[in-house]
Amino acid sequence: MAESANRPHSHMQDFEAHIRAVEEDLEYYRTKRFEPRVLYLHRRGVLTLYDLLEAAPSAEPAAATAHAGDHEHDALEGRIRALEDRLDAYVKTIGLTGVPVRGTRMVIDDGRVERGDYDPAFRIAKKPHGGPLDERVAHLEADMSRYERLLHAFTRALVAAGALDPGEMDRQRAQIGQPSIENGARIVARAWVDPIFKQALIEKGREAVRELDIPPGRLGKMGVAENTPGVHNVVVCTLCSCYPYDLLGDTPWWYKSEAYREQIVRDPRGTLASMFGLAVPADVAVRVHDSTSDVRWIVLPRRPAGTESWSEEELATLVTRESLIGTAEALSPAERNDPRRRGAGPKEAAE
Amino acid sequence: MNDAASRFGIGDRVRVKAANPDGNPRTPAYIRGKTGIVTAVHGRIDNPVDHRGIYPALYTVEFELRHVFGTDSADRIASDIHEDWLEAL
Repeated sequence: MAESANRPHSHMQDFEAHIRAVEEDLEYYRTKRFEPRVLYLHRRGVLTLYDLLEAAPSAEPAAATAHAGDHEHDALEGRIRALEDRLDAYVKTIGLTGVPVRGTRMVIDDGRVERGDYDPAFRIAKKPHGGPLDERVAHLEADMSRYERLLHAFTRALVAAGALDPGEMDRQRAQIGQPSIENGARIVARAWVDPIFKQALIEKGREAVRELDIPPGRLGKMGVAENTPGVHNVVVCTLCSCYPYDLLGDTPWWYKSEAYREQIVRDPRGTLASMFGLAVPADVAVRVHDSTSDVRWIVLPRRPAGTESWSEEELATLVTRESLIGTAEALSPAERNDPRRRGAGPKEAAE
Repeated sequence: MNDAASRFGIGDRVRVKAANPDGNPRTPAYIRGKTGIVTAVHGRIDNPVDHRGIYPALYTVEFELRHVFGTDSADRIASDIHEDWLEAL
């Protein structure tokens, strides 16, 4: 069952795919999200390479120790898991250091490509990868250590320049660490205000959410089912309870209930009305997505009326877990202020 | 995800095989033998957490509920199905 992947001690089945994912994500975040910003600030004299040099810790951080397993197989798995954890921390820190420095903004190549002012001649080269698995892991460990050191120096330089408050950074780090409904809300709100992001989200799923500094997760592909004036989507996993928990946090209890899994498929319109109090108009088709472990579907709800002037941050407060599954619409501005409607589950116990 | 050649395209009518002993057993039972339309082509998906190997190309196929369950519903169900489960019509 897919849910078993939640357990930290489940075994990896395909080392190569895990290693490739770390290689690709690490090079993406280094060359697209971190180093362009270092160079951007250096070019403008806001925070130079020499500032980084001065801020760099004099002692090298202790090298991460490889997991000591009795068995070679376990040792490699432990090293890969350690790399995945370090990648997560690297990604989060890049997000936290994306603060304005003396009025400059965070620069990311993806945004510049979309704006059309990107010159590929300034692209930062990604490292090629290859060779036997243990060599690739060793290269990743060496790369990771060097990349972490530069990011560490950058962070310290930001603090020295007064652009970053270490206490505030720790507080934010604790917040963004956990996958939660907040990630889903930010994804939806960005899609509501940014049509280019929405297109990328629907076409590429997880890759698109990197732009929001949300770790893209490690499970299959993310599918996005967009609600339209003519179609209302709802997600279920009839075989077990596949859910993008690595992106959205814990699965709601009723999603795993047999009542929901059986009824929503056979009579979606009736189940939405009876179990969730959601009346889908007769001229709107209901489309059920039976989610598997390969594609984890989320629903992109429709933007509520009366929110035309709302900011992205305000819009995110209208997105509930239920609206991401499709058993509810996003909250209207009036509903948002009614505490009874926040995070409303099924009207009655589904079992 | 790899860009392996995909046999079906969006809009193709396909039938799910009634049985496919070597295929992914997670293809839902209620759509076996049913006819639907391809609405998305996902290609081959690496899913190391859940599968040891890599299954053939994956598609989202939409079915009419009235066809699947014999009800009078006008609604639809979409399921993600690997290529080896599908036959062209």
